[in-house]
Amino acid sequence: MMSRNSMYTNPKPCKHLADYKLRHGLSGYNLLQEQIRTTPSGKSSVKNHQTEIPRCCFCNGYQKRLYLCLICSSISCSSHTLLHSQCENGHDIAVDIERSELYCVLCCDQVYDPDFDKIVMLKHLMDLPRSGNGVDVSAGRRSSKRRRLCSALELDLKKTKQLVSMRDLRAKSCYPLGLRGLNNLGSTCFMNSVLQALLHAPPFRNYFLTGQRNHEVCRKRSSDRLCLLCDIYVFFSAVFSGDRTPYSPAQLLYSWWQHSANLASYEQQDAHEFFISVLDGIHENGVKARNTGECHCVAHRVFSGQLRSDVTCMSCGYTSTTYDPFMDISLNLDTGNCPSTDLANKSLKPSDNTYVSTLLGCLDLFTKPEKLGSDQKFFCENCQERQDSVKQMSIKRLPLVLCLHIKRFEHFPVRRMSRKIDRYMQFPFCLDMNPYLSSSVVRNRFGNRMFAFEGDELDTSTEFEIFAVVTHSGTLDSGHYVTYLHLKDQWYKCDDAWITAVEEEVVRASQCYMLFYAQKMLYYKANEDLVCQPVSPRADPFLPIAGCC
Amino acid sequence: MSAKRSSINRPPTPDVDRDRENQEPTLQEIINIKMIESGEKERLKELLRERLIECGWRDEMKSLCRKKGRNNVTVDDLVHVITPKGRASVPDPVKAELLQRIRSFLASTAT
Repeated sequence: MMSRNSMYTNPKPCKHLADYKLRHGLSGYNLLQEQIRTTPSGKSSVKNHQTEIPRCCFCNGYQKRLYLCLICSSISCSSHTLLHSQCENGHDIAVDIERSELYCVLCCDQVYDPDFDKIVMLKHLMDLPRSGNGVDVSAGRRSSKRRRLCSALELDLKKTKQLVSMRDLRAKSCYPLGLRGLNNLGSTCFMNSVLQALLHAPPFRNYFLTGQRNHEVCRKRSSDRLCLLCDIYVFFSAVFSGDRTPYSPAQLLYSWWQHSANLASYEQQDAHEFFISVLDGIHENGVKARNTGECHCVAHRVFSGQLRSDVTCMSCGYTSTTYDPFMDISLNLDTGNCPSTDLANKSLKPSDNTYVSTLLGCLDLFTKPEKLGSDQKFFCENCQERQDSVKQMSIKRLPLVLCLHIKRFEHFPVRRMSRKIDRYMQFPFCLDMNPYLSSSVVRNRFGNRMFAFEGDELDTSTEFEIFAVVTHSGTLDSGHYVTYLHLKDQWYKCDDAWITAVEEEVVRASQCYMLFYAQKMLYYKANEDLVCQPVSPRADPFLPIAGCC
Repeated sequence: MSAKRSSINRPPTPDVDRDRENQEPTLQEIINIKMIESGEKERLKELLRERLIECGWRDEMKSLCRKKGRNNVTVDDLVHVITPKGRASVPDPVKAELLQRIRSFLASTAT
């Protein structure tokens, strides 16, 4: 039921802790367990006498950090722990009373023992209200996880021979496969930009190029009806054919209009909306969703992950947990501004203008505990009434390809206006999603614990590599989308029909709107598959390849 | 007229350490005890924690700690270095709010 988090290697215990464990085993921990109390916010403290203030046995002080000796239960303050250990031989391990964390007196430092953490958490769980406590005890997730891994490998292992055979003799051999400009059919840069990203999402690309999508026997097509999946297949074939002249994805556009009738117009649309609706179209046109949970259409297999939402009652600590699937994550820009409105909003930083938004800052904001407003009081099952509560999001399961959408378009329904947020946001090329996983987030609620009591979801890697960036420039009404693709260590700017190789700095300085990250292994494998010869050293890196042979 | 006569056999001077407990508790201690007994101290601590997180103080302290690196650093080192900086950088509105809460608590329990 409770398993170890394999990603965290437990730090080696110091000599003193090891000695203590040898001599006393778990007896000290077990005796302590009775006295541990956990607040609704997750803080565990040692409270033996409710009314007596714990005081240092040497100086009677009560204001410094206090430590309880695990052997004799005497309390010393941080100045006198060493004295205690000198007076009593072997009394080297103590517990920080306020935080329930182990401390080695001789090393003068915090130490970690998963056995101790387990005991603290067990007590916490025992104290919590019975029904639902934010702890995932399901071991049944394993099977679905294995299935996911297998399908990921399937999408990937279908061999590259088929890719190579599609190479046209007209291919400019110094550029990677699949690099082809897309003509703008009338404010369709929103579509072109997303398509460029989809063309290079490793498992997505492989699915369409390795014939897993059997175009010939598609039932819809044979009866002359439109099939979005077939059109995408045709589109992929065309782009990867080796022909470098700009392509017009008219059939695909028409197909998509049929699916998203409300967005069918020659007006500029939102790229993110297009992305979601294309995935939706693929889902509906594809494998019929089975009733047993997961869908196996290519859109879900590649892009879907799972979010966890915890709402905790601030009175009793009861946590209600829900899981929801996602195809992408929309992030608010972190501005470094303190949200507190009661206080005079005094920022610690001298001027807010110097704060740079970063992707990690946005992800931190996304997974930060958020106090729900008094108008959103949560009905606590345990208290049986509406209470103030705190909500926290985290990622339960990562997708193969992670699409992060930066919310740059702010809508004010009351004032009936919208505006664009131009704020620059820094983003990394390599992204480790570990701190945002449910296991990390939930663990951090309970102080410094090494022991995770979440189900292991870390068989898959948490490291991602960026492969596409969709950027937006201009205003809400008249703007332009451009995609940057990262292929084989080179960045390419895809501006409708015009593709140019660009330097890394250009990409870093761009105003990102959608970021596409692929799991590291998939990304590197995909890049191996893009057979091409190295660029000659004298080749002009800015030579456009659109429209020329 | 009952002036105390000094006794010839004076009792031994009490040991200073042991007698500390018998001395009158200071006002600060009385307030502290009252606050703990009523649970107010715990509530104030939670409130302070919330405010310090909201205004970014905790993140600032975190990054200060990180600057010291991960190796050859003990908790005691960090506490030693961070404490003065931490105390100095608590925003005034936060201090004011807490003082106000303490004042109202005292007013409500004044006997």
